[in-house]
Amino acid sequence: MPWSKFDCTYTAPTGGRQITYCDALREATDQAMVHDPRVFAIGLDADDRFGVFGSMRDLTHKERVLGTPISENAMTGVALGAALSGLRPIHIHLRVDFMLTAMDQIVNYVAKWQDMFGRQGKVPLVIRAIVGRGWGCGAQHSQTLHGWFAHIPGLKVVTPSTPYDAKGLLLASVADDSPVVFLEHRWLYKNTGAVPQELYTLPLGKANVLHRGDRLTVVANSLAAMHALTAIEQHDLDVELIDPRTIKPLDLDTITASVQRTGRLMVVDYDFPFGGFGAEVVAAVTERAFDSLRQPPVRLGFPDRGMPSSGVLERAYYPTPDRLAQAMTAMLLGEVVPS
Amino acid sequence: MTRPHTINRERGLRLLRTMRTIRQASERIAALYPSNVMETPVHLCIGQEAVAAGVCHHLRDEDKLFLGHRTHGPALAKGLGLRPLFAELYGRSTGCSRGFGGSMHLFDPAHGLPGSSAIVGGSIALAVGAGLSAQLQRADFVGVAWFGDAATNAGVCYESLNFAALRKLPVLFVCEDNGYSNVMPKSAHSAHDIESLAKVFMPTVAVDGTDVLATFAAAGEALTAIRAGGGPRFLHCKTKRWMKHQGHEPCDLGVVDRDRDCPIQKLETFLRGSGLLQGAESTQIAQDIEREIDDAIAFAAASPFPTPELLEA
Ligand SMILES: Cc1ncc(C[n+]2csc(CCOP(=O)(O)OP(=O)(O)O)c2C)c(N)n1
Repeated sequence: MPWSKFDCTYTAPTGGRQITYCDALREATDQAMVHDPRVFAIGLDADDRFGVFGSMRDLTHKERVLGTPISENAMTGVALGAALSGLRPIHIHLRVDFMLTAMDQIVNYVAKWQDMFGRQGKVPLVIRAIVGRGWGCGAQHSQTLHGWFAHIPGLKVVTPSTPYDAKGLLLASVADDSPVVFLEHRWLYKNTGAVPQELYTLPLGKANVLHRGDRLTVVANSLAAMHALTAIEQHDLDVELIDPRTIKPLDLDTITASVQRTGRLMVVDYDFPFGGFGAEVVAAVTERAFDSLRQPPVRLGFPDRGMPSSGVLERAYYPTPDRLAQAMTAMLLGEVVPS
Repeated sequence: MTRPHTINRERGLRLLRTMRTIRQASERIAALYPSNVMETPVHLCIGQEAVAAGVCHHLRDEDKLFLGHRTHGPALAKGLGLRPLFAELYGRSTGCSRGFGGSMHLFDPAHGLPGSSAIVGGSIALAVGAGLSAQLQRADFVGVAWFGDAATNAGVCYESLNFAALRKLPVLFVCEDNGYSNVMPKSAHSAHDIESLAKVFMPTVAVDGTDVLATFAAAGEALTAIRAGGGPRFLHCKTKRWMKHQGHEPCDLGVVDRDRDCPIQKLETFLRGSGLLQGAESTQIAQDIEREIDDAIAFAAASPFPTPELLEA
């Protein structure tokens, strides 16, 4: 199936049809399955009437949507085996936390299968997972973990923040011949945006500049990118906001060039901080543009401990657009911002 | 298997040739191993040749065989050449995995070897995925999972058996039971006997895995049923490991009777008794194979090493 002809690099259209992030994912899945008979979807509850929060609802090819037992580890191997035997599976997890029972398969098998044999084979496998908290969900139903997956060579990690990106990046992931971990934040599901009807793919590894500014570069992905955009717009801050879209491969050229202009870097990373994505961006920019930095870079994200349940604790644990705005303002004033 | 064996001469000689190739290649590896020309751990199949030959002689190139860490025997039986095998063991760019795999990670998709894995148990699931692919595409290839007795204790084995049975997938599970997990006997690692576990999910046959004709017959029946749409089958092959778990030294666990348990000797005795093998034929086969191994080693030793530029992301 020729996938490449759909490549396009244009940024989101401003007008036209508005659909939700969830519907964008649904449309991408449907178009992928219609376009290419090798594409199928598999996952626990992937085929039930809830349709993975609606993202798998009413698909044209229901016969290619398979439910599974609670056997995430073997099912990841099953998806890999199918990818090595002529198909292009999309393996879906209702929450990233459930996917952790499959870490042997994801890290030892899926990620390694190309390198281990001298990169002679293709592994066209997409692992979709929904990340982020519900309501009082606590430590086992709220994680993000994109930085952790990005740590593993052999995995691409895609974290769309807009409906336009969700569709184009999911189609690009299905078209890719290497494994992709595709993480969707549940709080973005109802957001709407302009999304072209036709099938299109966005390049993996190309950042999107969500806001132009001259005095501070903020790097933020997924829900954090939307929160940062809200903060910048509501407070009219002179900030450049870069959404890397895919945290691996990471578009360091765009980020570095921006920091060289603004002289300041903040990474908003809604994930655990230690050894994470935020740390990686700060390290990489420091290596490349040390002389441009006028202030110590700042990381904002979660505390280094498991998520709480009580509303009071949740509100203290999670950053908000207001807290991001405060931190950005402080940084622009040259104040020390606590990470 | 109490039935008398029936086999024609051509089939008998081919099984003999495959088993001898595995044996002689393994013995050569063992002989060379102390010199460190092969910088990779090796799990040899000496004593277990009948399982590889008996099962793989029924497999086609399109059938996808997923192996674990003990690879050489079944990989050769499935069609991997001696040259790409030895070159891989020698860490050369002409190896079947271009020097990135080593003994435990062999790759030859043209012969239905999509890769092998050294994390015990996990590759069972990949074979089930191959079976799922065949079913969804209405193709007639089969997924084959190849694993040892200890792998049946891994959760992924249970999950895989369950899913293959649920969806009636075309998958053959081959348990090559040599009675040990490294030096740990089966009695210390399994509270189940393997057949009862497998029988919960699918028709299961136990066979003397040192008897190539019995293994060949049982594998044939299982694969015929699978190809006819009968769903998965489990083949439990009891065999003997003559070497230590890893490396070039003989097993020191004192359980092997090399005369009684030798799959090659058993087949030769049968073939001679049936008039299918005559005079010096066996010696001739052995000599031919020695020459092929000489050639493969010369090829490996003369091949270039992979270059470090290949390590770039
Ligand atoms: C998950 C995992 N745990 C431990 C090991 C170390 N290990 C390698 S082989 C082996 C024994 C496996 O025994 P069995 O599955 O019966 O296969 P055999 O070696 O007898 O062919 C062990 C414990 C491993 N490779 N993977």
